[in-house]
Amino acid sequence: MLDETMIFAIQEDPREAEEQSPDGEMMQFLIFKSDDLLFGANVEYVVEIITNHVITTLPMVPNYVRGILNLRGQIIPVIDIRLRLGKPCQEDSIAIVLNVNGTQIGILVDSVAQMISIPKDHILPAPANNTQKLISGLYSLQDGSTMMVLDCVLLVES
Amino acid sequence: MSAEQVNTFSQGNVDEIFRIMHTIKGSSAMMQFNPLMTVAHRIEDLFFIIRESGMDILSEQSRSDLFDLVLQATDYFRNEVEKLNSNEPLSEDIDSFLTKINSCIVKIKGEIEGVPVASIKLEPTYADTSPEESIDQPESILVADNHEFPYSLLIFFDEGCGMESLRAFMLVNSIRDFCMDSEFTFTPNDVETNPESSETIIENGFVLQFRNANNRECAIQAITNSSSIRTYQTADYSAPTPLENTAPANTEEVPSTEKTSANPATPSDNTTSVPSKPSTASTNSAASNLSLNSSKESFISVNLSKLDQLMAVVGEIVITESMVTGSPDLNGLKLDNFTKSARQLRKLTDELQDVSMSLRMVPVSGTFQKMNRIVRDMGKKLGKRVKLTLTGEETEVDKSIVDGISDSIMHIVRNSMDHGIETDEEDRIAAGKDPVGEIILSARHTGSEVIIEIKDDGQGINYDRVLQKALSQRLASPDLEYSTKEIINFLLMPGFSTNTDVTEFSGRGVGMDVVKKSVEGVGGTLFITSDPGVGMTTTLKIPLTMAIMDGMKVSVGNSIFTIPIHNIRQSFKVNPDDIIHDGTRSEMIKCIDNFYPIVRIKDLYGLDLGFDEIQDGILIWVESGEISYCLFVDELIGEQQVVVKPLPSYVNTFNIKNHGITGCTILGDGNISIILDVANLYLSIQ
Repeated sequence: MLDETMIFAIQEDPREAEEQSPDGEMMQFLIFKSDDLLFGANVEYVVEIITNHVITTLPMVPNYVRGILNLRGQIIPVIDIRLRLGKPCQEDSIAIVLNVNGTQIGILVDSVAQMISIPKDHILPAPANNTQKLISGLYSLQDGSTMMVLDCVLLVES
Repeated sequence: MSAEQVNTFSQGNVDEIFRIMHTIKGSSAMMQFNPLMTVAHRIEDLFFIIRESGMDILSEQSRSDLFDLVLQATDYFRNEVEKLNSNEPLSEDIDSFLTKINSCIVKIKGEIEGVPVASIKLEPTYADTSPEESIDQPESILVADNHEFPYSLLIFFDEGCGMESLRAFMLVNSIRDFCMDSEFTFTPNDVETNPESSETIIENGFVLQFRNANNRECAIQAITNSSSIRTYQTADYSAPTPLENTAPANTEEVPSTEKTSANPATPSDNTTSVPSKPSTASTNSAASNLSLNSSKESFISVNLSKLDQLMAVVGEIVITESMVTGSPDLNGLKLDNFTKSARQLRKLTDELQDVSMSLRMVPVSGTFQKMNRIVRDMGKKLGKRVKLTLTGEETEVDKSIVDGISDSIMHIVRNSMDHGIETDEEDRIAAGKDPVGEIILSARHTGSEVIIEIKDDGQGINYDRVLQKALSQRLASPDLEYSTKEIINFLLMPGFSTNTDVTEFSGRGVGMDVVKKSVEGVGGTLFITSDPGVGMTTTLKIPLTMAIMDGMKVSVGNSIFTIPIHNIRQSFKVNPDDIIHDGTRSEMIKCIDNFYPIVRIKDLYGLDLGFDEIQDGILIWVESGEISYCLFVDELIGEQQVVVKPLPSYVNTFNIKNHGITGCTILGDGNISIILDVANLYLSIQ
């Protein structure tokens, strides 16, 4: 009985086990959608996902800075990823709160898809002529679509 | 230092200094800070002479020498204590200093020669040093039968601590450090060799007898600093009533040796603060008693960041409390018990907020007292006689604000000393003023602000000279006429200084603009008023605290802004007819004989929603320092105490501070309101 479950457990996820063997270093990403593009944010940086948030608009800031929100007493700036990438903005979005080296920042995305675990060396570098400055790498998902790795550090610093 | 103004030390002052030097000496000896101990010892000697012979016999010259010396000593101690705190080695180079003290002693001794030395009356001193400690507890065994050693000390060790004889011997050894063998005796006298004596000590106590009271005081120091002493009593043969008895609590404190490292700091502070209390002898001794009492309170030092954290949490609680009790879910429900508990909760949170606020409040007296020294030193160097009057020292301000403005106050006082007070006393007499200049430093509360005034009765601002200087520095244009107010504003400009020479004290060009910046840094404002020939007044208006303030909530469209109440002068509705338009599309309004520009927040911040018609909304007349104008908003929501939160550093990189947005606050419903900075908002549209 016990053996059986063990066997099933391994069989269920043959691909993952296979990938783990060549290189132990795995990275976890949270995949979210913004304007039909798939982005991945390193899970290390993700604090939480909030849905019913109230954003207070700040005047005199670039339009992609949507404002600030109150997360249990902490004031967190919120960036709209769509606007940051020059896309039209959309109402009722989801905020992902990131903590990048001590700086907390919220990003507004369309929807959150899933978490995946991939080996570090499977992430391909973004082409040099890539115009999206916020992307640090690319990864092909199983279903054939492409996940773009969001450069969270750059997002905070820019 | 106030004693210097009456040009003498009162008896109380002398005793006080004497006692403090003792404490320093004792503590430093114990901690083996030999240089400190030596200096303290010499000063003690000096004051011993003064105490015996009285102040009156000293000549004017040697008096001022004496004061210099004492102040130098204070500086020395402070420096050394700082070094101790930062774990630096103490400077061993005290010889020159000692020589000075010694020469002073010799001089004073020389002067009092021939003057019959008054018989030493030490009993009053005791009454002075330990009034609250003299608990009468008659102990007949204390009366020593030895005429040679009239000052005796009875010591009881902790019960059951064991090895009493050894402990007693250690005590004797420590007393030998500062007292010659011939100067004291002890009973039983065979503690070193005879373990049996322990029994006697347990039963009758260990008796020490001294030839003079000084040594006994030292011994008391040593005793209080050693462990296992339950209690001790002193008795003078001449005065059979025991005078001193430390409370058991006092001895209990002793074993904690960490405490002693802080000890040297306290007394050396006292030397400056205590003698500068009001100057008559009677109030002085009262003051020193007071300070003795207050030093008995127990303090702990807390990291400021922890207090900030506490403030933040308390702020959250206050907000959460109003979120809970004002929850829309409760609408229409009749909940008696809930309302009752909610009221209780509100009361408690209010109290909690008050208490946590008060933790950060410190009186400004510390900063004010420092000015005494500056005025004195500068007066000596510049040859000006100036007295400093302090009022409202007990006014309390947030600690971080005090730290922020103390340099500013010092700078203004220096300016007054250097430029304000006339160099020539004849000029003052000619102007019908007291030849001794006066600087008044005052602090007082007004609602949410503290007003600090630095007022001198000097010559005031020389407008012509300021204007000349402004012209030569191209700050002013020669074609224009300037009002006195505008001329004063030149003083606050970067790099402005009327003084052509750089003196030790001022005139380096970093002047009032720095002061203004640092005052504004803590959310305050600065004004200068001047009356030529009569003097000038610098007024600092600073908020009580930066963390919590009274704000007026206003709405523009769906945004809520908070304007600090202390910036608001008035709010009123107007008709479009009242608005005066000038050629450049800017609007003005006349209030009380003056025209003020109107700033529409909606247009300034490019908001989508909000009223455009002037009669729909409301005008708020705001003022910050010299800036005064009207803000046009949709409506007033109400007044609220708000916890100021800084904006996240990420959004600060967009430089919104310069557009009048300084921070934000969380409202009762969890939403965020932006706090406006009236001054920067106006400057941003200039």
